[in-house]
Parts: sequence; C-alpha cells; structure tokens
Amino acid sequence: MKQYFDTIVSGIEAKIAADPMEKTPRKLYALEISRLGHRLYSGEGVAWCGIVAPFDLLSAMGVTSCFVEFIGAMLASTGIAGEFLEEAEHIGFTSDICGYHRSIMGAANKGAMPEPDCLIATTTPCSGGVAVMENLARHFKKKLFVLNIPRQMSKSSVAYLAGQIRQMAGFVAAHTGKPLDEERLKEAVIKTNEARAVLEEVYELASSVPSPVNSRMLANFGIVITLLLGTDAAVTVTKAFRDDFAQKVATKTGGVPNEKTRLLWIQNRIQFKNPLVDMLEKQFGAVVVIDELNSITWDAIDPDDPYTGMAERAISIPFNGDGSRRIENLKKLAKKYKVDGAINPCNWGCRQGSGARGLISEGLKEIGVPVLNLEVDCVDTRSFSEGQLRTRIEAFVEMLG
Amino acid sequence: MKNKEKIGFMCAYTPLALIDAAGYAPYRILPSEACEDRAGHLLHDNLCPNIKKILDRALAGDVPDLAGVVFVNSCDAMRRLADAWQHVRKDDRIIWIDLPSSIDAMAHAYVQGQVEQMGRTLLSWSGSPMDPMAVEKSITSFNRICAHLSELAPAFASGAIPGGYAAMQALYNKASTRDFTTTLEEIEPMPGKTPAPKHDAVPVYLFGNVLPDPKAFDMFESCGAMIADADFCTGSRLFSPVTGGQKDVYSRLTSHLMTKPQCARSFDPALPGEIAKTTLSRARAVNAAGVIGHVIKFCDPYLERLPGIREHFKKNNMPLLILEGDCTLRSMGQQRTRIEAFIEMLM
Repeated sequence: MKQYFDTIVSGIEAKIAADPMEKTPRKLYALEISRLGHRLYSGEGVAWCGIVAPFDLLSAMGVTSCFVEFIGAMLASTGIAGEFLEEAEHIGFTSDICGYHRSIMGAANKGAMPEPDCLIATTTPCSGGVAVMENLARHFKKKLFVLNIPRQMSKSSVAYLAGQIRQMAGFVAAHTGKPLDEERLKEAVIKTNEARAVLEEVYELASSVPSPVNSRMLANFGIVITLLLGTDAAVTVTKAFRDDFAQKVATKTGGVPNEKTRLLWIQNRIQFKNPLVDMLEKQFGAVVVIDELNSITWDAIDPDDPYTGMAERAISIPFNGDGSRRIENLKKLAKKYKVDGAINPCNWGCRQGSGARGLISEGLKEIGVPVLNLEVDCVDTRSFSEGQLRTRIEAFVEMLG
Repeated sequence: MKNKEKIGFMCAYTPLALIDAAGYAPYRILPSEACEDRAGHLLHDNLCPNIKKILDRALAGDVPDLAGVVFVNSCDAMRRLADAWQHVRKDDRIIWIDLPSSIDAMAHAYVQGQVEQMGRTLLSWSGSPMDPMAVEKSITSFNRICAHLSELAPAFASGAIPGGYAAMQALYNKASTRDFTTTLEEIEPMPGKTPAPKHDAVPVYLFGNVLPDPKAFDMFESCGAMIADADFCTGSRLFSPVTGGQKDVYSRLTSHLMTKPQCARSFDPALPGEIAKTTLSRARAVNAAGVIGHVIKFCDPYLERLPGIREHFKKNNMPLLILEGDCTLRSMGQQRTRIEAFIEMLM
C-alpha cells in the first residue's frame, strides 16, 4: 500500500508540474489523501481511529491519524480487498460482518496494516467499529482509548465528551511521545473553521441546477475530508472545489452535460470499481448530486474552547442518535438539492446504516422522493450481482421519468 | 400488587430496581415466534433476529399495555429498534439510558446522571414522591430475587429440582416480565440448596446473548449436556445483584450497570479481548468439560469477538462449539447433530 500511495503522489505531482491545468480539485484531493496514506504507511506517530475522532486535534499533535474504514475502502477501490476478506473469513470472521471491518482484520492478519502507536475507537457510528478497534488493539498489542459518543446533544453530554477528548490527548501524548501544544491546537482549529466555511460554500454551489458536480466528484468526500481538518491541505482542497464550482455555476456548466435526473446517494458508496454510476450518467443523464455525508452539521469551533466544539461536532453527525434526526437531515438535503430520487446501497453487514432503510424510505416518500434500496456489500465484490443491479436501477430511473 | 402498570424493556442493562421503586412492574419484551415476520420491512433483514422479533410483536399488537418503555443505547440493533418502535407505537413514552461502552470515573458520573433522570421520569409518570428509601427497598428485593435464582440454577441443572434447565429459563422469563413481589412469592419457597444428585451428563458452560426459549435448554440436555452454568442476557446476566457500599442509591445502581457481567458490547479498553479470558475462567470455575456459545445472527458485538474467543480457547485446550441462531428452536434444531457430536467428543 505504501508503494501504491507513493506512486499516486509522485504521479500527480509530476502531472501538475508538467501542466498546471492538471491541477483539478479532484486531483488535489487525491494528492492530499495519498500523502496521508503515505504517512500512515511510513509508520511513525500513527493512531488508528474510529470515524468521528478529532483528526484536527491529532494533527495538531503531529500524529498521523485515520479511521480504519478508510483502509477498507482503499483496499476495495484498488481491487485487492478480496484476499484480505478471505483471510478474515479464514480466521473466523463471518461474512455477515461489515466488509470494511473484515477486510481490515484480514489485512492486519496478513501484515498489510501498519502497526499504530495507539488506537482510538469511537462508539459512533457503529458497534462493529468499536469491536474492530478492540480486535486491532489485541492484534497489535497496542493501547486503546474509547471515545464514548453520547447519543444526544445536551450540556452534560457535551461536557462528558469534551472531558474524554481532553483525556484522549493525554493518552495519545503518552503513547506517541508527542504532547499537545495548546497554541498549535488553536491554529489547527482556525484552519478547521476556515475549511468548514469553504465547505459550506462548496455544498451550496453543488446544489445548483445544473449541478457542477458529476457523480464521482464528491464521492466519499464529506467523510474523508475530515481526515485533513486542522491542516492547510483541507483549506487548499476545499478552496479548489469551491473555485471550480463557482466558475461552473456562473456559466451554468453542469458536471454532467444535459443533467436530467438528480439523485441523492444514501450512506457510503460502492468502493470497488463498478459500472453503475457511469450507466446512470451515460444512459439516463442521471447524476448523483449529493451524498448523505456531504453536509455540515456542526458550528464553527471556538479556538479558545476547542474541546467543547469538537464534542458537539462528533455528537452532531446524523449517524448518531435517533434515526429521526438522520431522516430529517436526508429530507433537508433532498429538498436543498432538488433531487428526483435516492439510492441506498444498504451496505450488507452495516446494521447501523442499513437498519433504518424502511424508515428512511418512508421519510423520503413523505416529501415525494422515491428510494431505491439495493443489496450490496460495498467492499466485497463476491456478492455483487451486476446484472440484477443494472435492471433494478434502470427500472428505477425510468420510473423517475 | 398484581395489577401494577408495566414498564417495557429489552436490554439486560436496564436497572429493574428503579422501575420497581417507582411503583411499576418491569416487563421484558422477549422475542416471540408467534408473530408474523414483518419487521424486515421497516428495519433490514440483516438485523439481529431478537430485535426483529420484538418489533414483530409490536407490529402484531402482541405487547401488553405499557406505561412506558426503557431503551438502552447498547448496540446498533437496539438503536434501530428504538427508531422503529417509536414509528410503530407512537404513543409510547420513552426513557433512554445512554450507556458508554467503556467504563471509568467520568463515565460513572455521566451514567449516574442518566440513572437519576430515569428515576425522576418514572416518578413523574407514577406521581410518586422521590424516595431513596423506596429505591433501597427495591434494590433489596431485586437482590433477593438474584440470590434465589442463582441458587436455583444449579439445582435445576443438576436435576435436584425436576424440570431441568428449561424450568430455570422459564423462571428467568417469568421474573423478567412481572413485578418483584410476585416473583419472590414463587421462588422463595423453592428449595435452592438441595444436594445435587449424581449426574452422568457432561458438564457444559453456555454463553451468548439472547436465548429465552426454555425448549432450547431441553435440547442441550437431551443431547447429553448438563448445564453447569449459563451466561445469557435473557438469564443470569439480567439477575446479577446490585452490590457496592455507596450510600447513594443512584451511585450504587450506576456501579451495578458498569460492573455486572457484561455483554460483549462493554469492555475495558486496557484489556482488549478480555471477554475470552472471562468466559474461559467462568467455564473453568464450574468444571465445564466444554463450552457452547450461542450467538444470534447479525450480532456484531459478539460476531466480531468470536475469533478472539476461539483462539484463546484453542490455546487453552478448552473445547468450544459456536452456534449461530435466530432465537428460535427451529434454528437450534438444525444444530442438533453438531451439539450431539460435540457432547460425544467431550465424553
């Protein structure tokens, strides 16, 4: 994987150096993510984390951090998850478990996951995510810290989580030898806030008709960009998208020519290469204009009280708390982006995400947005029934008119 | 006393003594095979069968009148059940206990706040005054229930009291669905410490999550097992006594939630994989010849930890059989041959 990330980094850098026009937002984004991948696999000061860990705080400490599901997605997108999924099943992980988590455990067992200095689990979004962190801690014989994310926003719940984040910083310092400098944390928070403000512009522009995005441009973006928060990279990447979108919106240039149908993608994308999104665009002019996780649900963080703001941010994500909150967020996005329909891959093995599919369908139906529920393991190609999925998607988009 | 209003609950982390103290009967909404299988429409077919079968009961109107329902933020499936429950039974009043996965002093303070809030809410519903003495009394009653059940379990398992472990499970089920007084009236006269007769069956330790059907235990015994001890959230795990010396009853209840025998979703981050060691030492403590784990399908907290448990048992030469089920005897029945072969191997 290190070689993979190195190749991408050097490839993109060479292309941009040769031709500044190659400096597209998506390339810049891929470059920064690959640089992160490179650091992770270089193996110094690494913390494997859960999805809502405060990556900006960790970054301010000089710790390279990443949620482990990112590795599952990378393995799938590069087409090598299969051997790790098989390895996980060989050591006893049933195929009913989330594909992200299986591939990670298989990779760890085969020595394809870098050894971290420590691990930080987060109880949101899922129970499986906490279990995989416990398993990794056992596997690597490294210390684990658990951030218990309260299910609701209240004064006491925010104070509880803020206290845990403060404790976590001490834990990370003890296990990486990198203490937290409060001034550096302030600077990181300022950068987080700057990126957050630009992200709001990015999402506002993406909601235009026609949308400046194509179906791949912001795929996985909302969740992955959090890994860069607190750094200049997040600001650079978000600004690149904003400027690109602003120019397209001003000239009414769609990300896909002749955009006909606008779609909302629920939860996460299918991570391995597949023809479905191309088919939607080319055959039907149907564009995924919004992914569920591409929204900002948190306020700017007070640099003088970062722990409180970081706690509020973690509690605010729509996957946390009551399903009704998640559904309200989906309705808000569906209206804002003027979508015609929604696709839910219902990632097999994801109890957290797929468990609410019936309620999500009913909720979106209330505002006239039909939902297509698929049955896909977003990481495991072995259960991918392309023919069936094509037929169902075709029927769905035709129905949308 | 027989006509107390009921408070529904589904998770073994629910503080039953608090429900009793507020003048209600705790009523565990157990999964049932009797209702039509409809929950997959609102949830997903790949969700915990226990949760789906509980929701099927709500969809079929197979739930008694409830004064309210307590949900514990214990796992994804429970959270999704809460969403669907509120959709199906819109008028139910809900209490949440937000229970962290790992335990420390900060978590204790946070959970105590939840427990106190639960107490206040229940009392506001019942109109009773806040009275720590009532909570104290309920804790005492609850502990009496736990003590008796814990004495009865080996007596049923060994055959000293007729009925086998199925009768014990039936008692657990009754104790979790009615008021404390009625339970105590039934179990206190039962002879708990009757000397155990000699038994030819193979002592086996059982563990897992949800297994409320008494007939399932009949099946284990009919395969030649003597259930030396069992750790399920529908059994002994729900009835572990409230201990601790804190004066404050809420603090004591909180400690209880955090220190009682744990479901796989709770763990100490300083000791990753400890569930394997705990399970093995409990099995050894009752001289089990082997261990059977019964885990319901799609239960991530258990499924993701089973490989670690298997590895630890293998290292320590303790035979282990893992069964995956869906809370019904139908799925258990399909496993009969495996259970028989396992018991034969232990003989």
